[in-house]
Amino acid sequence: MNRLWWRQVKAVIRLELKKTFFAKRGLWIYVLAALPVGLFLLYAVAMANQHHRTASIARQGDKPLTYQDLLAVKRGMTGQEVIGMLGKPPVNFHWVEPRRTESGSTEQVQHEEYRYSDGQNDIYISLVNGEVQNVVIQEGYNFGQDAVMFAGVFQFFFLRLAVFFGCLGIFMNLFRGEVLDKSLHFYFLSPIRRDVLMIGKFLAGLLATCTIFVISELLQTAAFFWHFNDRTLNLYIYQHHGLEHAAIYVGVTILACIGYGAFFLVAGMLFRNPIVPAAAALIWEGINPFLPAVLKQFSVIYYLKSLCPVEIPVSPGTPPLFALLISNADPISPPLAITGILIVASLALFVSSVQVRRMEINYTSE
Amino acid sequence: MSDRIIFEDVSKFYGEILGVNRVNLSIPPGITSLVGPNGSGKTTLMNLMTGLVKRSRGKIQVLGIATDDPENLFKVVGYSTQFDAFPKGLTGFQFIYSYLCLSGMEEREAERAAWQAIERVNLIEAATRKVAAYSKGMRQRIRLAQALAHNPKVLVLDEPLNGLDPLARAEMIALFRASAAEGCYVIISSHILHEVDVISDQVILLSNGYVVAEGQIQSVRNEIQEHPTQILIRCDRPRDLAARLFQSEYMIEASIHKDGRGLLLKTRDADRFYLAMNELALDGIQIESIAPADDDVLSVYEYLIGNEEVVR
Repeated sequence: MNRLWWRQVKAVIRLELKKTFFAKRGLWIYVLAALPVGLFLLYAVAMANQHHRTASIARQGDKPLTYQDLLAVKRGMTGQEVIGMLGKPPVNFHWVEPRRTESGSTEQVQHEEYRYSDGQNDIYISLVNGEVQNVVIQEGYNFGQDAVMFAGVFQFFFLRLAVFFGCLGIFMNLFRGEVLDKSLHFYFLSPIRRDVLMIGKFLAGLLATCTIFVISELLQTAAFFWHFNDRTLNLYIYQHHGLEHAAIYVGVTILACIGYGAFFLVAGMLFRNPIVPAAAALIWEGINPFLPAVLKQFSVIYYLKSLCPVEIPVSPGTPPLFALLISNADPISPPLAITGILIVASLALFVSSVQVRRMEINYTSE
Repeated sequence: MSDRIIFEDVSKFYGEILGVNRVNLSIPPGITSLVGPNGSGKTTLMNLMTGLVKRSRGKIQVLGIATDDPENLFKVVGYSTQFDAFPKGLTGFQFIYSYLCLSGMEEREAERAAWQAIERVNLIEAATRKVAAYSKGMRQRIRLAQALAHNPKVLVLDEPLNGLDPLARAEMIALFRASAAEGCYVIISSHILHEVDVISDQVILLSNGYVVAEGQIQSVRNEIQEHPTQILIRCDRPRDLAARLFQSEYMIEASIHKDGRGLLLKTRDADRFYLAMNELALDGIQIESIAPADDDVLSVYEYLIGNEEVVR
C-alpha cells in the first residue's frame, strides 16, 4: 500500500470511527456487548456472597478444618464419628420423616444434615438415623467448572449472538447506512480508489468492533476473576491457564470480528434488507455441525470453535442432535483454523472490492 | 491527454427507463450549460461524467481519464451534486477538510485549502457550525466549496444557483466566469434560462434523454431553419422603415414594436439581410440599434423543446 492510499485509509477510518462509536442506531451493540459482562458480574457477586457465608460457617465451627478433613468423611460413618472428627456442626438441620414399614406400622426416620466448611469449600453431610448416607463437597473455587461455564457463555452467547449481531450492525451499515442516509456520494466524489475506500471502511469497522468486543471480553474476564482471592487468582492465572485462556479468547474475538465483519460488509453491498443475509448466516452458522465437511469450511464458527481453549463436555443422556451442537466433532488445528478464517474473510473482501467498483449512486431506487 | 470531455455514443438505462440515449459530445473549456426540462437527463449526464452511475453503453473520457478511475478522475474533477445529504455531525469546515484528507492531502495542507475554499464561497462565519444547521443556500455554497476545494480543472455543477440569494448568485456566477477564464471546464445544469444565457459559452440542450442541440448559442440558433430569425431595429420612424424593407426579398414579416420606437423583423437568412440593409437607402431614418431578438437560450429552447418548465 503506497503512502497516498495509507493517508486515505486513515482519513476514512477517522470519519467512520466517529460515526460508528457515536451513532444512536448503534447503541444496542453496546448493550449486547455489556450483557455477558453483567452476567459475570452477577455471578461474581453471588460467588462472593457464597464465599462470605462459607467463611462465616468456618468461623462458627469448633475447630479450623482443612480440605483433607472434609474428604475424610465417608458414607456409612455415624454422626458421632463425624462430630468426633470435625467437631460440632456449625449448621445443623434435622427433621423426622414418618415412613410406613412392610408390616403396615409407621416408623419415625431421623434425618439430619450437617454443614461444615474449611473457609473455602463446603461439605454437606446427609445422615439417616444417625448414619451418613450422602456426602457432597461444594468447592469454593472449581476451576474446571468455572472454565466450562465461561466457555459456554463465550461460545453460545458472545460469539454466536453478541459478536455476530454486533458485526452485522456495524459492517452492514458501512455502505448500506450511507446509501440510506444518501451520503455515500461524499466518498465517491473523492479521488480515492473504491477498493481503498472499502479497505478503509472495513478497517474502521474492525477497529470499532474489536474495541467494543475485546473490551467486553476483558471486562468479562475481570468480572469472572473478581470473586477469586489473590492466592486463588494467582493459582488460576498461572497454574490453570487462566491468562492463556483469556488471551486466546481475545484472539478468537478479533478473528470473529474479522470473519463476520468481512461477511457482513459484502452482505451490506449485495442486499438491501439486512434481515435476509442475517437470517441466512445465522441459520448457516447454526447448522454448521450438521453440514458435510466441505461446506463446513465456508463458515466462521467452524474455525472459531476449533480455536476455543475449553471444550464443553457433553453430559451423558444429552440428545444426539444437541450433543453435536455442543461438541466440536471435527476440530482442526489452530494454525489451520486461523488460516481458514483469514481465507474466508479474504474471499468476502475480494467480492466486496468487486462489488464496490460496480456501485452506483442511485438513491431514488432505494 | 485529450483536452476535451468526450461522450461517444453513450446511453444509460435505469432498468427499462431511459436516462440518456446515444449521446455524442465533445465539450471544450469554458462554461457549458446543460439545459432541459426536469427528467431530460441533465443530472444523469453529470453523474455519468463523474462515474457516479455507470454507462449502459458507449465511452466517456474526461480530459483523457476514464470515469471508472475515480482516483485520477477526481484529481481533475470537482462535482457539486444536487444530493442534499452530508456525513453526519460535521461542521462546514470539517466537511471540506475531511474531503481533502480523503483526497490524500497532508493535514496542514488540507486545512489551508479548506479555509481557502470556504472563503471563496463566502462562508467563513458559518464554517464552524454543523452543516445540519445550515440554510439551503449555505448548504449549496458548502457543496460548491467542496467541488472547488482541490482546484479542479473540471467543475461539474448541478443546479449550482438553486437556493442562493441574488447577491450570492452574482458572486457565484463571477466565480464560474473566473474559473472559465483560467481555462477550466465549467459544466452547469440549470433550467433558469436567463442565467444560462448570461453565463454560458456553449449550451447542450437535452430533451427526454436525447441531446437536441449543442454548441454556441448563436450557431445553434442559426441551425434552426424552420424558425425565421427575429431582428429588432430601434429607430425613430419604424413604419417608414418597414415600407422600405419590404422591398428586400429576405424579409418575411415585420411588426411595429409595442412601444412604437422599433421594428421587429423575421428573416430566413440573417447574414444576407444584414448585407442588404447596408445597401438600402434609408431616407434619413435614424437607426439606434440593430440586434437579433431570438438568439438567446430561451428562444432556442422554446423552438427546440417547447416552453414546458421554462423558468424565465
